[in-house]
Amino acid sequence: MEFVSIKNLTLIYQSLKDETKALDDISFEIQKHDFVSIVGPSGCGKTTILSLISGLIKPTTGSISVEGKQPNTKDDVCGYMFQRDNLLPWRNIEKNIYFGLEIKRQKDKERKAYALALAKKYGIADFLKKYPNELSGGMRQRVALIRTLALKPELLLLDEPFSALDYQTRLSLCDDIYSIIKKEQKTAILVTHDIQEAISMSNKIIVLSARPAKIKAIHTLDFDESLTPFERRNSSKAKKLFSIIWQEIQDENKEI
Amino acid sequence: MKIKKFSKEHYDYLKKHHTKKAFVLFTQISLLLIFILGWQLLTKFEIISSFFFSSPSTVANMIGELWKSGELLYHAKITLTETLVGFAIASGIGFLVAFILWCNNFLRRVSEPYIVVLNSLPKIALGPIIIIWFGAGNKAIIFMCVLIVVIVTILNILNSFTSCDSQLLALGSSLGANKIQIFFKIVLPNSIKDIISTLKVNVGLSWIGSIMGEMLVSRAGLGYLLTYGKQVANMHLVMTATVVLCVLASLMYFAVALIEKIIQKR
Repeated sequence: MEFVSIKNLTLIYQSLKDETKALDDISFEIQKHDFVSIVGPSGCGKTTILSLISGLIKPTTGSISVEGKQPNTKDDVCGYMFQRDNLLPWRNIEKNIYFGLEIKRQKDKERKAYALALAKKYGIADFLKKYPNELSGGMRQRVALIRTLALKPELLLLDEPFSALDYQTRLSLCDDIYSIIKKEQKTAILVTHDIQEAISMSNKIIVLSARPAKIKAIHTLDFDESLTPFERRNSSKAKKLFSIIWQEIQDENKEI
Repeated sequence: MKIKKFSKEHYDYLKKHHTKKAFVLFTQISLLLIFILGWQLLTKFEIISSFFFSSPSTVANMIGELWKSGELLYHAKITLTETLVGFAIASGIGFLVAFILWCNNFLRRVSEPYIVVLNSLPKIALGPIIIIWFGAGNKAIIFMCVLIVVIVTILNILNSFTSCDSQLLALGSSLGANKIQIFFKIVLPNSIKDIISTLKVNVGLSWIGSIMGEMLVSRAGLGYLLTYGKQVANMHLVMTATVVLCVLASLMYFAVALIEKIIQKR
């Protein structure tokens, strides 16, 4: 059975002056342990898809199921990661990691120990007593990932998590987060405007058209699993795919 | 203790920093002393009239006398109590109302024009009504004080609550947080700074409220001393009451500033 299944999804945003069709008849499936990227022209409704999958908003028509159920923010299946780390500046790193557990009322000994173990495993043990403003952007985003993982989500929704970082940090964090997600055996959906990033991390890329977003193309990637995102970026296969996807998005931009 | 060795430049930098800080303090104290000394000298040689301006030495004497007779403590205590009670009630109610209006969009929209109008209304205009309702006693004074402070408190705190970073709120809702959790875990801690600065403004406003109230109705308190001094043309008394008021108001301000420091120390 598919882990995530989206069928004929349409979403219309209402406002006083107008109504905007953001998504038009979107259908796709995601298997467990997939790493799927969604790319498309800016403002086409990529983030909207993540909001729908997490249950933050409801579709106008069509259906979404995650693990066979309608998504709901109260469930613990999805973990959302934002473009900004959204660490609370008045909490130290340790307390920031527990934030999700507190909200979900799961802050018991066992869960705290699990969160701390993740922190140690992924190199933020030395910063636990520090405050967010004392950490670099890459480190902060890493803390945000640990905060998300502490809730043991099966599905990670990554909303341009690297785009606020400088290029160097971006490349190395990309490698780190990719390996963390693979090690923890999570399923992930990455929304990005960076085609290279999408190619370097995913095994499936969904290309969306301009607003209202339709599915323009779905690419299945067959890179060697042992390659890091950085190594993938530099392969000739990646370059070929890049120009194909680039062209697809370019066509969309022309039509506007 | 770990003793860390720094370069000579660092010690020079620290020295420079401390010198600058000391100079600011020195200038502040000097200005106060020059003001008092100038006041004393100008009135002593009658360059300005000592009848209209009193003088520091007379004020000091009068404070001494009033202290001995127990009157100073009596009047100061009355005004201070009214101010503190007014401050506490108004800040408490203001916070509570702001919380309720933050929780409920409908109530917020309904009450908005009322709050704005109440805010621009000069509260002293309500003096006569208040006296008729509450009688000429400290109930009326405290009510006046609350009235002046509470509206601004609601506006400031509500504004701070509603301007909370939407990204942080999105984090909360993506985790499925309910309204109460969002308030206590995100909005409130995010607003602490604004709440403290509102309290600082409230210190000043509650003194305005209590003194204004006393001028309208009372038979005791510093505001009463001011009015009484004016009526009998005793400028020494007026100046003395003003000086005592200045000291008390700054003490209260520093108390709030101290609380702020304790909170920020985390």
